Amino acid sequence: MSIYLPIAEMPVSGLLVLLLSALVGFVSGLTGLGGGFIMTPMLIFMGIPAPVAVATQASQITATSVSGLMAQARRRMVDWRMGLLLSMGGVIGSTFGVSIFSTLLAAGQIDILITLLYVLFLTVIGALMLFESFMAIRTAGKPLARPLPRPSPMALDKLPFLMRFPRSGLYISVLPPLALGFGVGVLAAIMGVGGAFILAPAMIYLLRMPTNVVVGTSLLQVLIVAAVVTLLQASITQKVDLLLAAILIVGGVIGAQLGARLGARLPGEQLRAVLAVVVFGAAAKLLWDLLTPPAYLYVLDPS
Amino acid sequence: MRAAMILAGLLALAALAQAQERAPESMTAPEPEIVAPPPAPTDAAPRIIEAPGAAPPRRPRRVARAPQSEPSTDFPAAIAQENFAATSSYQGAEVTVFGYTPDRLRRGDVVVAVRGPPETAVVRRKFRFLAFWVNGDPVRFEDAPSFLAVYSTRPLNEIASPRAIWELRLDPAASARLVGATPADADASAYRRAFVRLRRQSGLYVEEPEGLDLDANALFHRQIKIPANAPLGEYTVEIFWFRDNRLIARQANTLNVARQGIERTIHHLATKHAFFYGILTVLLALAGGWASAVAFRKT
Repeated sequence: MSIYLPIAEMPVSGLLVLLLSALVGFVSGLTGLGGGFIMTPMLIFMGIPAPVAVATQASQITATSVSGLMAQARRRMVDWRMGLLLSMGGVIGSTFGVSIFSTLLAAGQIDILITLLYVLFLTVIGALMLFESFMAIRTAGKPLARPLPRPSPMALDKLPFLMRFPRSGLYISVLPPLALGFGVGVLAAIMGVGGAFILAPAMIYLLRMPTNVVVGTSLLQVLIVAAVVTLLQASITQKVDLLLAAILIVGGVIGAQLGARLGARLPGEQLRAVLAVVVFGAAAKLLWDLLTPPAYLYVLDPS
Repeated sequence: MRAAMILAGLLALAALAQAQERAPESMTAPEPEIVAPPPAPTDAAPRIIEAPGAAPPRRPRRVARAPQSEPSTDFPAAIAQENFAATSSYQGAEVTVFGYTPDRLRRGDVVVAVRGPPETAVVRRKFRFLAFWVNGDPVRFEDAPSFLAVYSTRPLNEIASPRAIWELRLDPAASARLVGATPADADASAYRRAFVRLRRQSGLYVEEPEGLDLDANALFHRQIKIPANAPLGEYTVEIFWFRDNRLIARQANTLNVARQGIERTIHHLATKHAFFYGILTVLLALAGGWASAVAFRKT
């Protein structure tokens, strides 16, 4: 079924986009990652202009993180205070990111920057996922095999503006969470991703939060930032396509629920390892395209 | 339905032609019954306007005579439909162009040019920067048609002078007006050729040098496809009749491709009420996420 997208000004196969978004939602439900880092390049590959893909993708991230957050909140696995602090940094960062996005769009260098950022982060995600699944497979069966990161004296502890976070059992400066939220917010706006893949490891290793609240708390930050990015993209770049968003939301939330449900019964670690290899492959392909001489030297800016 | 419309249109035109036959003095472009003597062949090379990107003529031919009078605009040709709706199932528009040449002996050639709304196009040349291939400085072309289809009964260089092809903007390269300076490393014509090539590749510039046929009664009709990836807006359809390298008659029509229904509502909200549209999108996302969480919890 062909659907003409009013903002992208092009027809797409509605069924194909629905299936793809369900697949991406499924993978994100299975692995706990947002899935934006797969969906955005896929939309661009389908011929949807990069600005529209990035701007619209934020709405799908909003939708999938709502259902994830609801599940975590029921189990009281959310540090609301930390989440809101991260979100404050995230909102400022994403505002900044949307203006960078508009500037680069005008300068004609947005595709290069997006590609480079994707190469960098796909490699990082791939490495992290491969490492984690490798560790999990190796120590399978042993309870509490992965030691929790021990608090150690760090430069971060010497910062001012201390605040108590009872749910996480932390008494730290508000500056690192704000800075972390800011950085992830900038990336979220430029790359059309949620940023949970950077946020979650940073929360564990930098802020030293207990792992059981990390997923719920990062979901809160991702939800708020994605909602703000959607709003900003709609207001400033005016590139959010509501028809595309509707298909992505429906496919994404159904896929995510199925993924989360089946995730418990499937060999999660092996799946993560397979996904890590796929992610590495994608990063390698993008990098290869940037390094090899193009077949045709001239390009037209998207209108 | 459309075929019936074309038929009706052709009948109307035929009636018009008969009326004109009965009163030949009313014709704006009188048709002599006797074949006009062909212009004397000359050895002089044809005068070619320096035009970057324009294909040089393949063989010497008659010198184009400067038009003695303005081409007639009273040319019996039309398009079958003037308004096209881009609904959610829009897959492009099919423009039907039809008409006839007012020459009983079927002399001359017809050219149809469909042009999309003009826009500024930006061409860049990639260059190597620290091992990466990145985009170079922009070269702008203004007033370039976002879509251009040129259909003719014969290749254009056999029909009209290079000057006429250039001035009527029937050559895609002629349509793009270069603005500002080009980067020092390359000349303008390379960018112009690249621009036309890229537009052809995406199916937005179409040329069919033998895409039109005159039937036994000098009638022509042809469906010209405006693809779905071409922009929406106002299009012009120009129809030219050339004879002996001269533009005898021309006629212009406009057609409109506009969003309809849900497409129109969404575009209106997105551009005129952007903040409200953003809120609406966020609410839709929240509702979608919430609904799926609730639905899957119960099952």
